[in-house]
Amino acid sequence: MKSTANKRLFLILTLLAVIGALGTLIFSSFTGALVYFHTPSETTAKGTELNGKKIRIGGMVQAGSLVKEPGTQKIRFLVSDGKSHLPVRYEGMVPDLFREGQGVVVEGVWRTGQDFDADTILAKHSEDYVPVEMSEQGIANSQKSLLKSLQ
Amino acid sequence: MWIEIAHFATLLALFLSLVLFGAPLAGMHWKNMAWVRVARQAAFWICGLLTLASAGLIVSFMTHDFSVKYVAEHASLKLPTFYLATAMWGGHEGSLLLWAWFLSLFVAIAAWRHWETHPVSMPWVLSILGSLQVGFLLLVVFLSSPFVRLLDPPLDGRDLNPLLQDPGMVFHPPFLYMGYVGFAIPYAFAMAALITAQGDGEWILATRRWTLFSWIMLTIGIVFGAYWAYYELGWGGYWAWDPVENASFMPWLTGVAFLHSVMVQERRRMFKTWNLFLIITTFALSLLGTFLVRSGVLSSVHAFATDPGRGVYILMFMTVLLLFSFGLLTTKSDQLQGATQLESPWSREFSFLVNNLFLVAGACTVLLGTLYPLAVETLSSAKVSVGAPYYNKVFIPIMLGMLLLMGIGPCIPWRAASLQYLRREFLVPAIIGLAGLPAAWMVGITHPFGLAALALILFVGTTHLRDLTGNVRQRMNRESISPQVALMRLVGRNQRRYGGMLVHFGILVMVAGFVGSGLFQEERNLLLSPGDSLRLGDWNLTLESMGQTARRNWQAEEAVIRAERPGETVLLKPQKRVYNEHSQPTTEAAIHTTWREDLYVVLGEPVKAGVWAFRVYRNPLIAWIWFGSGIVTIGVLLAMLQGRRARRLAT
Repeated sequence: MKSTANKRLFLILTLLAVIGALGTLIFSSFTGALVYFHTPSETTAKGTELNGKKIRIGGMVQAGSLVKEPGTQKIRFLVSDGKSHLPVRYEGMVPDLFREGQGVVVEGVWRTGQDFDADTILAKHSEDYVPVEMSEQGIANSQKSLLKSLQ
Repeated sequence: MWIEIAHFATLLALFLSLVLFGAPLAGMHWKNMAWVRVARQAAFWICGLLTLASAGLIVSFMTHDFSVKYVAEHASLKLPTFYLATAMWGGHEGSLLLWAWFLSLFVAIAAWRHWETHPVSMPWVLSILGSLQVGFLLLVVFLSSPFVRLLDPPLDGRDLNPLLQDPGMVFHPPFLYMGYVGFAIPYAFAMAALITAQGDGEWILATRRWTLFSWIMLTIGIVFGAYWAYYELGWGGYWAWDPVENASFMPWLTGVAFLHSVMVQERRRMFKTWNLFLIITTFALSLLGTFLVRSGVLSSVHAFATDPGRGVYILMFMTVLLLFSFGLLTTKSDQLQGATQLESPWSREFSFLVNNLFLVAGACTVLLGTLYPLAVETLSSAKVSVGAPYYNKVFIPIMLGMLLLMGIGPCIPWRAASLQYLRREFLVPAIIGLAGLPAAWMVGITHPFGLAALALILFVGTTHLRDLTGNVRQRMNRESISPQVALMRLVGRNQRRYGGMLVHFGILVMVAGFVGSGLFQEERNLLLSPGDSLRLGDWNLTLESMGQTARRNWQAEEAVIRAERPGETVLLKPQKRVYNEHSQPTTEAAIHTTWREDLYVVLGEPVKAGVWAFRVYRNPLIAWIWFGSGIVTIGVLLAMLQGRRARRLAT
């Protein structure tokens, strides 16, 4: 027959084991699940340091840069932050909000010296759903604020 | 005109909320109950005034009053009436007003229903709820007012975000908010119990229905959101671990923990501090949910606005609430000594304790993943995101552990179980669970998580069914009645227990849906011209034609796809819509639902003349998730009827 103290010790050890297992599970999964976000300028500057890492790049789809390969779902475009731009390749269906002049975040593995091969495109929802007939000035402003919100 | 009435009513409600907060304190200071009665009347008046304010805002929408900034930003002349009426919560300002209105409604109900039964705690309850009402109305009136007029009103509004023009999205926020706000009542009772040194558990019985109500509203809100994401966003899934989804999931998890651990306090007088901790955490996470989404801290479709003033206010609100609650808990915790101690790991209280650890670990997982990016961004200039792989890695083992405990918890006795009891109760279910493994292997389930989930579903299902049939048989023999009558009497005698078991059964159905759609989804990305076809599962899909279609405020490109399998033919019509006031197209997936699987077709863009991109999914068992959540709802409603024992304990 176990004594009461023994029983309590057993209970506490069981609880600690459960807590320890859960903690280990959470933290071991957490490290390695982080994906860092960079602007095109930062990516260019850090080039080699990021080589082989999964990253997100955010900016605007540069107007006039979107090229669709006819008959396939392959596209190429430039992501720009105003100072610098990066060529991106993607194959597949793009989100509804993806288009030239709009904010975009692309995710993929960075390889120095190559076009960025995106495996995911996340189109940013602009904060307000701006009507079509907005003025040029308004569009310029919303682009500025959007760019700021992306950084 | 209406908006001024609404604005004035809200200002008056704010003033009365100060009365609701202050009068009970005055009453207790001068030992005069008249003050408390004044506060009670104030609670009723606040409810009436905020009802008027909400009605005023809705009328402004219905009459297309675009001189109101909020209306101009969230409606247009062509917006259908149904969405006009519900556009009130289509944006940030109106949502907060809706929150405040729900709070006033619940406070009024609490002041009415608990007035006579809880005379000692009532002044504190009213005062605490009054302070929350003040906090929210200050936000509505000064920092995010939906009542602002435009000097130069536009002829037409900007229209409601097309993604929100959908029945699923119309019902998602109100249910979620009812859940969030509902937790304020148990929270206030818990705080009042601490202050008046009655932390013994009477507050738990008093607020049992409130807790169940809030939790089920939150559940329904989350499921509506998931369902909306599934059929409206067109990516074939329903849950993306988006920060906004996470925000509603955290109070849900701690709410489940709370619902279980209060039973331990009722029966065994243990976990008193823990229960208070859980209800504070649940309500704080409910507030965090509202604020994370509505402050624009998170970038997502839900976070409409960014305003630093609002963010600072909200941060202060949260800080005060947490300091007050946890400060009170630490200073008053000496009255919370448990009357008994844990005796054995083979007991119901221990299984509930481990269940709570799992649920809180789940909530910590989500909190870490949601707030870590915000912390990194604040402390350094780096921006980081935590992806779905992290959550899936942590949550699947946690879910499996929870399933195991779900089978054990309701069927193991309090205090300590003997080895013979354990063998009698759990040997057969364990064998049935393990026997499911080779069967599952032959059907084609090879993934270890899939196998484990299936074995556990069988295990839990068997424990619950055996418990039910055993008790029915006992009653039949004792009272010599038919099985139906025995079942009715059994459930009628303890609605809470059998309601809970029905909830568990609903969860099992949902888990089957998660496993089916999570592990066995098939996805195809392909290009089709009219006349082309493909095979998916036992379906044969053919693109019949492409065409145009239009409604009042949108036009669309529409594909017609014929899906056939032996004995069944359906037409699927996925669309690419363009709403008049918006240049961005939105995707309308076409979905064919059967109990076995969903066919899910998304139309993409043309890649050259006569060729379109399509994405086609086969989602096995996904309808089980929605169906299971219906069972969960019925189970909770049954549990809310209160069993005889709960009624006896309450008096």
